[in-house]
Amino acid sequence: MLGAFANAFRTPDLRRKLLFVLGVVVIFRLGSQIPSPGVHVDNVQTCLNRIEDQGLYTLINLFSGGALLQLSIFALGIMPYITASIILQLLVVVIPRLELLKKEGQSGQAKITQYTRYLTLALAVLQATGIVALARSRQLLQDCDQPLLHDENSTATFLVMVITMTAGTAVIMWLGELITDRGIGNGMSILIFCQVVATFPASLWAVRQSQGWGTFAIVMAIGLALVAAVIFIEQAQRRIPVQYARRMVGRKMFGGSSTYIPLKVNQAGIIPVIFASSLLYLPAMAAQFNATSDSAWVRWINEHFVQGDHPLYMAVYFSLIIFFTYFYVSITFNPKEIADNMKKYGGFIPGIRAGKPTEDYLSYVLSRITLPGALYLGLISLVPLIAFALIGANQNFPFGGTSILIMVGVALDTVKQIESQLQQRNYEGFLR
Amino acid sequence: MDSVSDGSAVRSSKDDDARGDESKKPRTGPITFYKQVVAELRKVVWPTQPQLVTYFIVVMVFVLVMMVLVSLLDLGFGQLVYEIFTTTGE
Repeated sequence: MLGAFANAFRTPDLRRKLLFVLGVVVIFRLGSQIPSPGVHVDNVQTCLNRIEDQGLYTLINLFSGGALLQLSIFALGIMPYITASIILQLLVVVIPRLELLKKEGQSGQAKITQYTRYLTLALAVLQATGIVALARSRQLLQDCDQPLLHDENSTATFLVMVITMTAGTAVIMWLGELITDRGIGNGMSILIFCQVVATFPASLWAVRQSQGWGTFAIVMAIGLALVAAVIFIEQAQRRIPVQYARRMVGRKMFGGSSTYIPLKVNQAGIIPVIFASSLLYLPAMAAQFNATSDSAWVRWINEHFVQGDHPLYMAVYFSLIIFFTYFYVSITFNPKEIADNMKKYGGFIPGIRAGKPTEDYLSYVLSRITLPGALYLGLISLVPLIAFALIGANQNFPFGGTSILIMVGVALDTVKQIESQLQQRNYEGFLR
Repeated sequence: MDSVSDGSAVRSSKDDDARGDESKKPRTGPITFYKQVVAELRKVVWPTQPQLVTYFIVVMVFVLVMMVLVSLLDLGFGQLVYEIFTTTGE
């Protein structure tokens, strides 16, 4: 096992990629600690220590990896980028012009990516303005009456902070794309993995402190069981057999082999969970920006959407996950394309004709197998919420299932990519 | 009109397995759908226990290594930032 890790670092190009990812992670964490200009670090630290025990801000803190409340230059984290890419992927289905662009291939895809970046910046400006406005009016950290900024009334400070945070978001977006291009795995998921991992030990420890060792042990046991369950389902495949016809080209024989198309039970991976939770994170955020106003909708959101244990919240979360699972599978897996490719290379599913019937069969199996996959994603995200609510630990552990799904999912993906790179060089991998 | 009915007839006569062409026919009811889901689930290849154990260990190692790394980075940089940006006068 450890030999495989050593091999990973012995392979030159793999080593370069791994070190590249680690370097990006170091920069990402550094930026999450450096305060924006104008922030009164003394007071922020005092206030943060004070609210740490209450566990009130964990929802927002989890998704920013602790950077948001420190008002650092990377305060917004990867979230604006994720939100922007969800919005664009949804819009591609709705707006015909974008759909045309997508069908155009490489150049159209590049254009859509460009739109995603612009939208990210727009969202970043919005969120940064909200956060800085909150910090200015001392609403960001409640129960804390010390000024968070050196000069609360200066417009210049306000502008500089908003510009800095927006620029920080642009840098994070760039870092994420760099990981995707030159490192291992998907940059967006690796960065959100880091954000989750950064707050995870602290929130576990908070459970220990507020509930004692007994509850801590139960929480750990549930967590480990969940990890095993997630791995079990992520590895489950429905294998559709494919036969390749033998044919002579010149004097050589080609084909005649039989393989299979692996359809995972959870073909969508963890993306639906990230999408659903980042969408649900928006109302909580909006409510926080308007915390001062006593209007009805703010109270309604605070009541239903900020604590993770409200039935309405769970229901919405669950249905969003199911929707996004089907949605994401439908945009990433194209039965028509696969059927066409199989036809081109003389492959067929035994008992089913090439072309349209194959396409129909693939989408038939896919839509049937995705239902348990979607239910599994929804349940895993909800079970901890319910379990922790029962033992009264939910305050410190919102998104328990989500963070486990994100951690295990990204870990599996990344390890598998390292594995396949190792196998290219004939090393024995981790997974045998 | 003629060609449409012809096409569907050809397809349904060909293979009993390709039930995907039901989109042309009336929609699948929830009970049939449920049965089909169960039928597909039976064909799923689940991971064996040794596979599960290796994956579990590998994932735990990866997550723990990253957790320790990120926590150390955060502690180190946090301390550094605190040293640099806090005023000693207060």
